[in-house]
Parts: sequence; C-alpha cells; structure tokens
Amino acid sequence: MEEDSMKIIKPKGPEIFDIELEKDLLAKNRSLAKENRKRFDRLKITAIDIMGSIGSGKTSLIKALLKRLNMGEAVGVIAGDLTTTIDAERIIEEGARVIQINTGKECHLDAHLVGRAIEKMSLNGIEILFIENVGNLICPGEFPLGAHKRIVVTSATEGPYTLIKHPYIFRQADVIAYNKIDLAKAMKVNLSRMEQDAYKVNPHAVFIRTNAIKGTGIPKIIQTLGLKA
Amino acid sequence: MHEFSISSEIAKTVLDTAQENKGNRVLSILLEIGEITLLNGEQVKFWVQELFKGSIAEGAEIRIKNVRVRIECESCNYQGSPLIDPKDGVGYLGPLSCPKCKAFQVKIKKGSGCILKQIRMVR
Repeated sequence: MEEDSMKIIKPKGPEIFDIELEKDLLAKNRSLAKENRKRFDRLKITAIDIMGSIGSGKTSLIKALLKRLNMGEAVGVIAGDLTTTIDAERIIEEGARVIQINTGKECHLDAHLVGRAIEKMSLNGIEILFIENVGNLICPGEFPLGAHKRIVVTSATEGPYTLIKHPYIFRQADVIAYNKIDLAKAMKVNLSRMEQDAYKVNPHAVFIRTNAIKGTGIPKIIQTLGLKA
Repeated sequence: MHEFSISSEIAKTVLDTAQENKGNRVLSILLEIGEITLLNGEQVKFWVQELFKGSIAEGAEIRIKNVRVRIECESCNYQGSPLIDPKDGVGYLGPLSCPKCKAFQVKIKKGSGCILKQIRMVR
C-alpha cells in the first residue's frame, strides 16, 4: 500500500530562521525608469520631466515652451494630476499631443505609470516629450521617470524660502525655472538671493528666471535643454 | 504619502519571500533607511504594520536602521560626512557641502537608499 512506503517525519518544533537579502525598494522604480529611457532613445525622443510646486506655473511653462517650439504634434505631453483633466485641456490648445495620467491619491508620477502612458500614447513622429509631474516639491524627487532632463519649477508667489526648504527635489534638477519674476517685488523676494540658494542646493543646475505668461526666459530653457527652437 | 507606496512594496516582498521559503510566521524584519531619502521611518513602520494585518506577518517587529550620509567632494575628493549649515535646516535635507574645502559640488555616496536586509521567520 502506498501509505506503507511513506516516511513520516515528525515535526521537530518551530524552527526560527533568518533570510538575509539586499532588496533595494527604490530600485524597482529606477529599473523601470531605465526601460523608459531606452524606449525614448530608440524612438529618438528627448523626454523632459517637469516637477514643481502646486501653482508654480508648470502647465503655463509647458504652454509657453510649446508656443515657442512651434512644432505641433511633434511634441507630446504627459499631464500628471490627481483627478482632473484641467491641465491636459489647457495644453491641447497649443496643438501638442497630450495624454493624461490621473494618479488618484498618489502624490507623484512613477516610472511604471509613465511606462503605461507611453504604451497607450502614439509616439510616432514625436521628437520631444514633456512629462508634467504632480504638483509637489517633495515626493517626485524620489522617483526618476527615465526622462533625459528634469526641470523644477518654483515661483515668487511661494515666498522666499522654497529652495532652501526643499533641497532634495532641486538636487535632482538640470534646470531650475524660477517663475513669476514679475511678482517678485510684491512678494518681497530677492531674486539674486534665490539664485544663491539654488547654487548652494545644486551647483550643477542652471537657474533661469521666467515669466511663463509673457514668455520671459523660455528661449533660455529651450537652449539649455538642447531642444531646437 | 509616498511612504505608502514604498511600504506596499516592502509588505509584498516580505510576504512573497516568506511564502517562497515556507515560513509560517514572520517575526521581524530589518530595514535600512538612508537619512537622505524622503522616507519617514515612523510612517513606514506604521504602514507596514497596517499592511501586515491579517497575514502571517501580523504583529512582526519592524526594525529600522538609519544609514548616515556619506559624500564625495567633486573638487577635493574628500570622502565622509557632509557639512550642513544648521541655519539651512535640520538633518541631512539642507544643502550639503564639503567640510574640507566648503564646495557645494558633492556626490552622495551613501544614505539615499531604502533596503530590506533581513526577514526572521518561523518554519
């Protein structure tokens, strides 16, 4: 009988054991970001991640860049937002190809969400892709998306301390766009001081004073990022 | 809020690993969190405990080891702890500079990760 040939091993009592591992929990996002980057490179797309505070003018800056680039559907925009499509609608007006990502409760875009968006979006003929992150000066800094360059937008209306209070995100920036410079005086913001703070936080980033509504500083951003005008 | 997404990743990894190794109960886990990540250890602990509820890891001890920041100076090649002006903030989130030559051009070599190091379980 089959039961006769079975060996019964008596349990020895609970055995406590340790599993040693070296699982980097931020690595998964980084490897997905690398995949996104490979995809962009294969398609010859320059991808730019645009991070920044709520109301700093990220969408206005993208609109100004689109206007200046004047490349129509050769520019794509991924608009990240919690729940609305307001930004996507504002951007469509400029003739770019837009896809919306709603993150729901999540405070940042991650490489996985961007990967899914670029699968859905037709990337044919796109030369430049702007990825507008969720308005937040904290979390997006921790999650690279695979973009070639990262812009952080902050503005005079946020007062004089944003750079020094949030060095982490500015450390990830290639370009720091300091927006709403026309309001600096009213907000008692000293722009040279802001530039010094930017240098302390990230001496490699290029600090550019902008007024996205009027287009001030936009050509310099395009030039710094190596996008054709 | 991004503590939640990291914590979900931690909980999933722990439970998957326990299952693969035929663990019946998870007793504790050890996490290393770099001081320059934007992760608050207390929040991570809270979320991981919440996510463990109803699983074989419910009640497991969450041990967190903070990892200090180490930098390498790009201008004088100094390696070690950074200099932080207390005027510019508490802890490591202020601007970092080289204590030797005062340059702000520094590379972060250690302290920016979140690593699951150990899972202790009963089989």
